[in-house]
Amino acid sequence: MTTSQSLLHGIRTSADYFLSTFIFGIMFGITASAAGIDDWQAMLMSASVFTASGQFAALEFWQAPLPLGTIALSVFLVSTRNILLGMAMTYHFDGHSLGRRIVWLFLLNDPGVVNSFRQDPRVDRLGYVTGYGISMMTSWLCSTFLGLSGAQLFASLDLGAVDFAGPLVMTTMMMLFFKASKAPPTPWIASGLAALSLFEIGSPDYLVLLGSVLIGMSLAIFQQRRRRD
Amino acid sequence: MIDTPHTLTAIAVMAVVVYLTRATGYFVGLQLRHIRGIQPVLEALPGCAFMAILAPAARQGSVSEIVAMACVILIMWRSNNVVLATCTGLAVLLIGGHYFGTS
Repeated sequence: MTTSQSLLHGIRTSADYFLSTFIFGIMFGITASAAGIDDWQAMLMSASVFTASGQFAALEFWQAPLPLGTIALSVFLVSTRNILLGMAMTYHFDGHSLGRRIVWLFLLNDPGVVNSFRQDPRVDRLGYVTGYGISMMTSWLCSTFLGLSGAQLFASLDLGAVDFAGPLVMTTMMMLFFKASKAPPTPWIASGLAALSLFEIGSPDYLVLLGSVLIGMSLAIFQQRRRRD
Repeated sequence: MIDTPHTLTAIAVMAVVVYLTRATGYFVGLQLRHIRGIQPVLEALPGCAFMAILAPAARQGSVSEIVAMACVILIMWRSNNVVLATCTGLAVLLIGGHYFGTS
C-alpha cells in the first residue's frame, strides 16, 4: 500500500476517535473562552499545539502574568507519553526521507499509533498515522471553533462530570492495545500497580509516570530475555 | 487581561514543547534500535504510560467515574466499538454525576 493510500486509510478508519476528539474540542473551546482567551488565539493554540491534555493543563495556569515556565512544565509532563509513542514507532517509519519524518511527526497522535499496530503489515505506518492525525486535527479545530462560538450557551450547562472523559478515552485505547497484543500484558499490569503504589505514597505526577513506566519496561525486558533463552 | 505578545509566546512555547516530545522519542528510539530484542520492549511503552495515568485516575475516581470506566472496559472487551464505549461512559458520567456527585 502506498503512503497516500495509507494516509487515506488512516483518515477512513478514524471515525471513532474523530467523534471522541470532537467532544473534547467543544469542551476546550468553552474552557478557553471562560479563561478569557480570544477566539483566534484559542484556534491558533489548537492548530499549533494539537494536544487536548496539554492545552487543558495550560489553561489551569492562564492568568496574568502568564507563568511561562509552569505552563511549559505542565504541558511537558502531560505530553511525556508522546515520547513513548514516538519510541514505539521507531521501527515503523522507515523508507521515508528524514525531512518528511520530521514534518509529519507533528501529527503523531495516541489513537493513530495504537490503531496502526492493528493494521495489515502492508500499510505504510507513517502515512496511516499522519492520515489519522489529519482527521484528529480537523475534528479538534472544528470542535474548538464550535465550543468557542457556543461558549455562552454551553456555560449554563453543568459539564463538570465530563472532566473524566479523558481517562475514558484512554481506557478505550488501552483496551485496543490489550486486545491486539500478542505478548502477555504483565508489563502493563506491573505499571498500573506501580503507579498506584507511587500515587498512594504521595509521589509527584512525573515520578508516578516515570517510576511505573520504568518498572513496566524492566519487566518487558525480562520477558524478552526469557523468551530468547 | 493578558496582552497578545505574551499569549503568542506562551502558545509558541507550548507548541515547541509538545513537538519535541513527539520527535524526541522517535529519534531516541532510532539510536536504540540496534540493540537486539528491543522492539517488543519499545512497543510495550505506550501501554505502560496509559496504565500509569489510568490507575491513579481510577483510584481517585468517584463511584460514577469508576462505573463509567468499568462500562467502557466491558463494551470494548465485547465489541471493540469506541463510539459506543465512549458515549456510554459519558452518559454514565452525566447521569451518575447527577446522583452521586463528582470527586
